[in-house]
Amino acid sequence: MSARLEAADESAALELLHELGCTDGLPVVVPTPDRVGRMALAMGLDGELSLGSMGPNLGDCTVEKVAACAVMAGCLPDHAPVVLAAVRAVLEPAFDCTEMQATTHAITPFVIVNGPAREACGPIASGFGALGPGFRANASIGRALRLAMINIGGGRPGVSDMALLGHPGKFTMCLAEDEEASPWEPLHVARGFAPEDSAVTVVGTEGPHSVIFVGDADDPTAPDRLLDTLAGTLANVGSNNAHFGRGSGVVLLNPDHTHVLAAAGYDRAGVARALWDRAANPRARMRALNPSMIPDGDPDTPWRAFRSPDDILVVAAGGSGLYSMVVPSWGAGPHANPAVSMRIDHDQACAVPFGPRGG
Amino acid sequence: MRDGVNLARRGVPAVALVSSEFWAQGDFIARSVGMPDVPRVCFEHPVAGAGVETMRRVALAIRDEIVSALRGKAS
Repeated sequence: MSARLEAADESAALELLHELGCTDGLPVVVPTPDRVGRMALAMGLDGELSLGSMGPNLGDCTVEKVAACAVMAGCLPDHAPVVLAAVRAVLEPAFDCTEMQATTHAITPFVIVNGPAREACGPIASGFGALGPGFRANASIGRALRLAMINIGGGRPGVSDMALLGHPGKFTMCLAEDEEASPWEPLHVARGFAPEDSAVTVVGTEGPHSVIFVGDADDPTAPDRLLDTLAGTLANVGSNNAHFGRGSGVVLLNPDHTHVLAAAGYDRAGVARALWDRAANPRARMRALNPSMIPDGDPDTPWRAFRSPDDILVVAAGGSGLYSMVVPSWGAGPHANPAVSMRIDHDQACAVPFGPRGG
Repeated sequence: MRDGVNLARRGVPAVALVSSEFWAQGDFIARSVGMPDVPRVCFEHPVAGAGVETMRRVALAIRDEIVSALRGKAS
């Protein structure tokens, strides 16, 4: 059982949580025992079950504690299975949560949701403005993960979360793939899940960078121009990826831009391959900027931003128009910042009694 | 939509052309600037990058509707 705090009333409880550093700086829903109990039921697991330890303070990540963070974030019980899957993904050793929390770089788990859970546990937005404000599931699921990293993992700015500046996506960063508008198989299917499965794919990223591209159906070079524009942003010379030559890159393609590439015969893997090949800078250019970080060698050889096409996640999302997005990453840690996918078990939840005071 | 409203307020016959993805936004703008019934015609999205042939087809498809709107026979 998690520790209990006492407060005179809801307002006092909220102030106490702020004072103890348990919030992200914004008001939270006070995690009363009955609210947390209902959220834990929606997770379909025993509240005392430990999912693992979360760094850097190696906090015991029990289902009950994750449920408390989901309540604080404003989640509905419907969102709980996605929160649970995202937390489990972050706890995977390959995610390097401890190192990610401690780094001076600005990085946060970006949660991408696929499969029927997009509706069953949401709706989780994937179209116009999906990474912005206005979507409760997106906002609260990503925020629940952050609150878990604060309260269970112990990430406190300037003490254990050493990001020099951080970024706004550290409050929350979650969207669904727009599978219906995508010309390709869903991301989770490309990563080995069945179409009827639901999954989160979580990857530590910087904030998203907009990429403008105006297509032209009459211009046969349009697909190449689009790929070059995306690749140039993936390999922007200020990024860790451009220097370290590793990490993950996420490319969020709007429906117009996926259409340009699909019409040219590209499948999802083909897009990733083309981007990997083009996301590079001349070694001499990178050495001139940061000589201590780039080994000496043939100055004209391309210094690639990624080790493999598999490190570039191509995701269909956003509204129809000129803008797609590239999301660079960290590229450090023992496992070099891979994406981690985790099944969402959204058919395991217990019936959640309707609470007398709501969520 | 705002251009259509501004022209109409100056007494210039105008019809706003709004792509389908922005139709709801067009309604919102028309209401917010106080001319909810400003004439408008919906056409298929997207415009950017659609190519000359597609735009010619789209223009032909809404030509009569634009004229009707200018004559006050459509909203």
